[in-house]
Amino acid sequence: MTTTELERPARPPVFHHLSTGRKARNHLATVLVSLAFLIALVPLVWLLATVVIKGWRALVSPDWFTHSLKGVLPDQFAGGIYHALYGSLAQALVCAVIAVPIGILAAIYLVEYGRGWLARLTTFMVDILSGVPSIVAALFIFALWISTFGLEQSAFAVSLALVLLMLPVVVRSCEEMLRLVPQELREASYALGIPKWKTIVRVVLPTALSGIVTGSMLALARVLGETAPVLVLVGYSQSINFNIFDGNMTSLPLFIYNQFTNPTAAGQLRIWGAALTLILLVMLFNLIATVISRFSAIKTK
Amino acid sequence: MKLKRQSAVLAVVAASAVMLAACGSDNNSGVAGAQAAGKSANVACGGKNTLKASGSTAQANAMSRFTQAFGATCSDQDINYNGNGSGAGVKEFTGKQTDFAGSDSALSAEKGEIEKAKQRCGAPAWNLPMVFGPIAITYKLDGVDDLALDGKTLAGIFSGKITKWNAPEIAKLNAGKKLPDQKITVIFRSDESGTTDNFQKYLKTAGGWDKGTGKSFNGGVGEGAKGNDGTSQALKNAKGGITYNEWSFAQAQKLNVAKIVNSGGGQPVELNAASAAKAVEAAKFKDEGSKDLELNLDSIYGTKTAGAYPLMLATYEIACSKYPDADTGKAVKAFLSVAAQGGQEGLDQNGYVKLPKQFSDKLLASINAIQ
Repeated sequence: MTTTELERPARPPVFHHLSTGRKARNHLATVLVSLAFLIALVPLVWLLATVVIKGWRALVSPDWFTHSLKGVLPDQFAGGIYHALYGSLAQALVCAVIAVPIGILAAIYLVEYGRGWLARLTTFMVDILSGVPSIVAALFIFALWISTFGLEQSAFAVSLALVLLMLPVVVRSCEEMLRLVPQELREASYALGIPKWKTIVRVVLPTALSGIVTGSMLALARVLGETAPVLVLVGYSQSINFNIFDGNMTSLPLFIYNQFTNPTAAGQLRIWGAALTLILLVMLFNLIATVISRFSAIKTK
Repeated sequence: MKLKRQSAVLAVVAASAVMLAACGSDNNSGVAGAQAAGKSANVACGGKNTLKASGSTAQANAMSRFTQAFGATCSDQDINYNGNGSGAGVKEFTGKQTDFAGSDSALSAEKGEIEKAKQRCGAPAWNLPMVFGPIAITYKLDGVDDLALDGKTLAGIFSGKITKWNAPEIAKLNAGKKLPDQKITVIFRSDESGTTDNFQKYLKTAGGWDKGTGKSFNGGVGEGAKGNDGTSQALKNAKGGITYNEWSFAQAQKLNVAKIVNSGGGQPVELNAASAAKAVEAAKFKDEGSKDLELNLDSIYGTKTAGAYPLMLATYEIACSKYPDADTGKAVKAFLSVAAQGGQEGLDQNGYVKLPKQFSDKLLASINAIQ
């Protein structure tokens, strides 16, 4: 027997030539799937194009990112959104500082320790919390912070409402990431006589870190655009306010909402400019998340 | 190693945040095209540094102008105005969240607002009508760019009794003009709004409207649209459409504005700064001689003064006659004095009425009595 005979399959292939009908159906399916993809893309591209076309003019103004709107008349092409940008970032970061540690600890509890009714209750509550509409979270904080405690409206109250919205997202994503850590890693660590808490801190968390950071960043980007809490819990201001505990502070959604009552061309431009800035900000956070996860990913080899 | 890299990323984020915090500026003076705010005489600046107020969205743009004038007259002092609606404004004022409120209607005794405001201040609160925004009757009718209407006809149109543009009632007011045989499409505000409330009150006073007043439209005809934005957009797309808008939106969107024959009969009155000011000048107060300047709105809606435009929305600043905290009182007084004087410059560019001298003098007398 020659080698060529050996290499020949024992049985000739059954489907040597595809029939025209099958090819046609294959092409049809490809076309349909691609079409569905394109249709899904249309609103996204349309939205982005509209916002960019109507808003880019505002962003190229030299004062846009560095000045507030203080002392600017409604119909004047001047001033910027610095105060709103600062407000958005400050409120979101304070929210993250509170929500991320709580979220990570809750996730660790659920994955590593949680057994029985308490874990089930926690999971259930997180599910409920993730379904709470933002206006309900805002009103809850209003009832608690302002009506019951008698404190004033402030950016910090907004951050607290955002915590309620961010927490379930963080818990959920961290939980998934921690579950992805192979059980063998934990077992290897225990085998060396390392206590459970140290295993979690030194083995489990670093392994899951990139996913946790990405999840938190995405959750942060999500709460940046929330409108309901800023409408209820803080007032509009046209000036810069660095103090999150006192006084009115504008954020980008509040800025957009406020300029709706301004029918002039300058007002319209500010609305689109602020919308574009918000989109860019969310994009920036997503990019940072990607970069961080790229840098902190566990090396496989 | 890995942690180091992460702290590097964090450091970059923190550093950019610090840089961002360092380079912001509130100083917008010297911007090209900025007008100097009008001079305000006899204003005693001082008191609380940053005032807080909220309420009517109708006066939000006027407030921006007042704020600019305030900053120009009293440097180092500022005010934050949150346009979140008249109802919320009054609630936040009586709840001590803000220093004064902006409201499209005076404090109401029925809702207990007068009592609550008195408790909040420790003294009666005053209604100070500061901002007047005319309401424009806007229409879209091919080939017609000059149209006159009166209260009765408007009431007929908005209640569905008059349905054609060439109806005899409209033709009578527009003698010599060619009106098309076209259906009238009524467009109304579908959201609750002070504009609708004032429009219906006007129809009641001037046109015998029997559908009732209130913040939602009761006419029972036409199609709804949300906000001034929505109604102006709907009007542009409707053939033979008619609606009511704040003047600023009619100006900005370049809509056709109808002339109005007021209750005195006579010539149709065009909506402009002079005709609106005339109606404000002729306005009467509920309690003449009192420092509380609640308006008798019927005197505006039903004005018989020749050349006065009757349809407008008045916004009050609701302030304490005596503040529990003298610092706040001083600042509120300074702000309101500036608003009634220098702040009036250029108001007509944003669709508001510049207060006539006689009226602002009365207003200033009340403001000066605030403690």
